[in-house]
Amino acid sequence: MSIAVSIKNITKDYSLKLRGLKLRAVDGLSLEIPQGEIFGLLGPNGSGKSTTLKILLGLIKPTMGEVMVFNSRCSDVASRSRIGYLPESPNFYTYLTGEELVSFYAGICGVSQNKIKESVSAVISLVGLEEASDRRVGTYSKGMLQRIGLAQALVHDPDLIILDEPMAGVDPLGAIKITKVILKLKERGKTVLLCTHLLAHVEEICDRIAILDKGKLILEGSVESLLRETKEETFLVKGLPAEAEDELQQWLKSKGASLTTERRSSRNLEELFLEKIKNQTKGEEIG
Amino acid sequence: MKLFLIARNTLKEAIRQKLFHFVVLLSIGLIVGSLFFREFNFGVSELKFIVDFGFGAMTFFGSMLAVVVTAQLFFNEIDSRTVQTLLSKPVHRAEFILGKFLGVLFVLLFFMALMAISLLAVLAFREASIYSRISEDIRPEGWIRYGDVVLFSVVQWVKLGVISALTLLIASFSRSNLYSVTMSFLLVIICHLQYLTLEGWSTASSWVVKGLLFFLSYLLPNFQIFNLGDWVASGEILPCSLVLKASAYGIVYWIGLSYLAVYSFSKREI
Repeated sequence: MSIAVSIKNITKDYSLKLRGLKLRAVDGLSLEIPQGEIFGLLGPNGSGKSTTLKILLGLIKPTMGEVMVFNSRCSDVASRSRIGYLPESPNFYTYLTGEELVSFYAGICGVSQNKIKESVSAVISLVGLEEASDRRVGTYSKGMLQRIGLAQALVHDPDLIILDEPMAGVDPLGAIKITKVILKLKERGKTVLLCTHLLAHVEEICDRIAILDKGKLILEGSVESLLRETKEETFLVKGLPAEAEDELQQWLKSKGASLTTERRSSRNLEELFLEKIKNQTKGEEIG
Repeated sequence: MKLFLIARNTLKEAIRQKLFHFVVLLSIGLIVGSLFFREFNFGVSELKFIVDFGFGAMTFFGSMLAVVVTAQLFFNEIDSRTVQTLLSKPVHRAEFILGKFLGVLFVLLFFMALMAISLLAVLAFREASIYSRISEDIRPEGWIRYGDVVLFSVVQWVKLGVISALTLLIASFSRSNLYSVTMSFLLVIICHLQYLTLEGWSTASSWVVKGLLFFLSYLLPNFQIFNLGDWVASGEILPCSLVLKASAYGIVYWIGLSYLAVYSFSKREI
């Protein structure tokens, strides 16, 4: 499988302008995101997620290391024609209507004049904003802003879609709609890089995740394998307590009861996330 | 193409701003208001007064607009983070800066065109009313050269472009709108007094001071070069060579200052 994003040992220092002090936002991060995956980038506030995204989008330069997007350097402006980006809490030109806004970005991304109208109406209907497309963006609710943001990110049919908190401020119905759009993108072979704090959502749709803390990568892998690590067998027994499977079955039989459900129990992503962050902090305190 | 899209969007944003409406209305109001000085009834002098008054309104409010609108349009993008969305697309930073500059040039062109039309209309109206009271035999020809009023407006537009490019250069590295506006106004004043450095250069005895003044006199534009209003107001023919010289001088500064703004913005972390 070809690689959509390759991050090699990047470090980013911000100068604090106080006696040469520097803040290390990203510390030796290496990651690879294969094409066609939904990849979750997780971490608490200040963990370096946004800085990593900004480097990926060429908005800032890493102090060290290299980032490649579809084998092009991220500093190369042309590489961005294959990227669609929805920023966190998006702000757009409030004086434009939804349709004008998406058309503007379509033109900026190089969609040909004769295809702009078609592409714009396709993405607006994909995010379910047909009825509000002729209204000024300044009158949109937060959820509608997220959806028009998603539309502008998709209008040029990019291969890599970067979504920073796409569910923030979206009602449950809107969230379901956005989830469906993300899954549809995966079906079409697109790569999705998702940054969110909604861990249940990540668990539901992501193929792989990476957890960052204080700029460092502390965990990476497929959601399934990471969550399976501590899976336990759980039996739901109707009417009687469980002690051991065999004994229980025999005992159940002797008692005339039956084993009705066998379910794989697992910790959820939220527990894993909190545990890893806690361990990292403890380790540093001891060190 | 992208440059023009950004410029068009900048123009759309600017003409929706209340500040722009306010300055345009105030300037037109002042030009039209100059009609009320007709009580003095100085004949030709009255028309010259209207020309002077109109040019003053154009230059003063135009300079104000060039600084404030440029800084505001730039910092609106930075503060609302729309610049992040825009630069995450295949857009060069040079296209962003030059698109903004081009957009502001269109805004200033629109402003100067409105001012020139208002001034020409006021002058034509007043001239006609004075003519009607003078018999044909003693009526002089060509009190006001309307073509020169248009040429003067074009040269002032070039000057406003230089002010805008200067403001964009400051905004490209500055962190606040207020700082950019204050610094730009200060520089506009210095550029109006720049001829003093030239005078100092010619009279300085020390070679170090001479060298420093020579460097300063070329670093900042000399706004006196655009000061052609006296030719028009005194009824003399405005020489085309002066118009061309001032325009070329301004355009060289457009290019130089926007190049520096692009360079400075390309180093900026967003």
